[in-house]
Amino acid sequence: MGKLLQVKDVKKSFGNLRALDGVTLNVEEKTVTILIGPNGSGKTTLINVITGFQKPDEGHIHYGSTEITSWSPQQIYRTGIARTFQIPSMFGKLPVLENLLVAEKNNPGESFRKSLLKKLWAKHERDAIEKASRILQLLGLSEQRNTLASRLSGGQMKLVEIGRALMSDANLYLLDEPVSGVNPTLAHEIFARIIGLREQFGITFFIVEHRLDIALKYVDYVNAMASGRLIADGTPEQVINDPKVIEAYLGA
Amino acid sequence: MALIDQVILFVVDLLALFAVYLIISTGLNMQQGITGIPNFGILFAVAGGAYITGGLSTRLAVILLGIQTNLDPISENIAVLQLVNPILRSQPPTAVVLLILFLMIGGMAGALMGLISSAPAVRLREDYLAITLLAFGEILNVVGIGYKPLIGGPIGVNVPDIFGWAGSYRFYLATLVLLLVAIAIYAFAGYIIKTPFGRTLKAIRDNEIVARSLGKNITQYRTSVILFGSLLCGMAGSLWVLYSGAVTPTYARFDWTFLPWLMILLGGIGSNRGVLVGSLTFVTLNKLIIYYKFEFVGILPFDIVWLNYLLLGIITILILIYRPEGIVQEKWTDPKQNLGAADKPT
Repeated sequence: MGKLLQVKDVKKSFGNLRALDGVTLNVEEKTVTILIGPNGSGKTTLINVITGFQKPDEGHIHYGSTEITSWSPQQIYRTGIARTFQIPSMFGKLPVLENLLVAEKNNPGESFRKSLLKKLWAKHERDAIEKASRILQLLGLSEQRNTLASRLSGGQMKLVEIGRALMSDANLYLLDEPVSGVNPTLAHEIFARIIGLREQFGITFFIVEHRLDIALKYVDYVNAMASGRLIADGTPEQVINDPKVIEAYLGA
Repeated sequence: MALIDQVILFVVDLLALFAVYLIISTGLNMQQGITGIPNFGILFAVAGGAYITGGLSTRLAVILLGIQTNLDPISENIAVLQLVNPILRSQPPTAVVLLILFLMIGGMAGALMGLISSAPAVRLREDYLAITLLAFGEILNVVGIGYKPLIGGPIGVNVPDIFGWAGSYRFYLATLVLLLVAIAIYAFAGYIIKTPFGRTLKAIRDNEIVARSLGKNITQYRTSVILFGSLLCGMAGSLWVLYSGAVTPTYARFDWTFLPWLMILLGGIGSNRGVLVGSLTFVTLNKLIIYYKFEFVGILPFDIVWLNYLLLGIITILILIYRPEGIVQEKWTDPKQNLGAADKPT
């Protein structure tokens, strides 16, 4: 098993604020890893830098053998990396089903010229609708299929975030607090599905998560951040007993 | 003239104006309502189509009809048309060719104007995009007035009578043709909105950042839509000149920017059907006000010249306060139904 994602010594500052202070971490293929850390430790910034929403001041990021350090979000998505947002961001005036359909890659109907001839895109669209319907069922959102996204509850929006990522058929999923605001039963189910996807399709997950009570039993590795740096990484047992981690969470 | 004849004339002329505005509003709705691009510079595209039609149609008619003359089609416009029009009236096919040609040329001129005005701005957001586009709208009028060889300066020029071959039915034919073109364009826009392309436009409108994270090339989509909307505006400008028989460099912001915005505002931003409602309502209202405003001379405490500006301005404010989403809701069809018979499993 190889290293799917390699982050090397990445630094990012916003003015005087050092959000990322030399982060180095690796994500192995076909693993489920969570990233923990107190608020302000730089977790979301790291996701933003990896997915092209921010450019790092220093450092390199590799996906497989390809360097993706200065790629745009569009290129990142097309190459097989999907991300979700911590604050759920919907296409408010589109129904839930269409929110998922936008995430579909390579739909010929999205080009102006090809959209003119329905035959060129009807099949792909039909398959995309099937896939989206299955994902909605998996997330328990089938009844909200035709509801405008802006009318959903916060928890439901979180699920649509995940659903959108699942539409992408990506190899690497970067999820930013995917189950915050979701009831515990469903949260467990979602994590169980994540494991299932890893088993069945060899998909890799890198998840920012606070709810250790739910997530810990599903993950292979834990990475811990504090003050813009990685302070521990290893198995769940190793990391949560690591004195540096305990101090970062509880210490002054 | 009998009352019924007056009414018929009023309605037929109204329908022609409605057709032109339907085309413009459809183009504007695609940009603002569907994609979230606040194009306040559609005047640029409308005038572009109008000016190129005014400037070139006489010249092209001379060429197509094989007329030998040394007269300049612009500076000696009336004289040239006295040669052109009688022949044109007896050659309907040439008239049709001219119409189709100038629909295309006007459309391309409009699209070019749209491209020019959007190129610096398409990467900008919201306010900055709007201001840039607004500024461009003013440029063409200034050029039209000052540069005489374009459309004859402030007086303008006439254009060949391409509906003249219908004799006494010219008036009705002109309106019919305009309506047919407008309805075709309206139906086409309705189709585009329901495709995955249309869905992506709406996604860009609703949340640009997420659309980017899903691999969509925002700039490319915006440019395509501005081009398409501007193409439609150019066609509308061209049609209006051919219908009116003349062009003058007085394309006012009120008529060709403010009114279309008001139409899509009333109709309901994003709703294609709303464009129909909005266009018809305001074309009718504006025309009625202009027609009857002289009845109010002396009654109102201000110059009635400004009456339609005032009334329509008040209506705009009322809509923005009480019903900003407009009359007609954004329509939505289940994507499954939309596929229809295009793909049946074998």
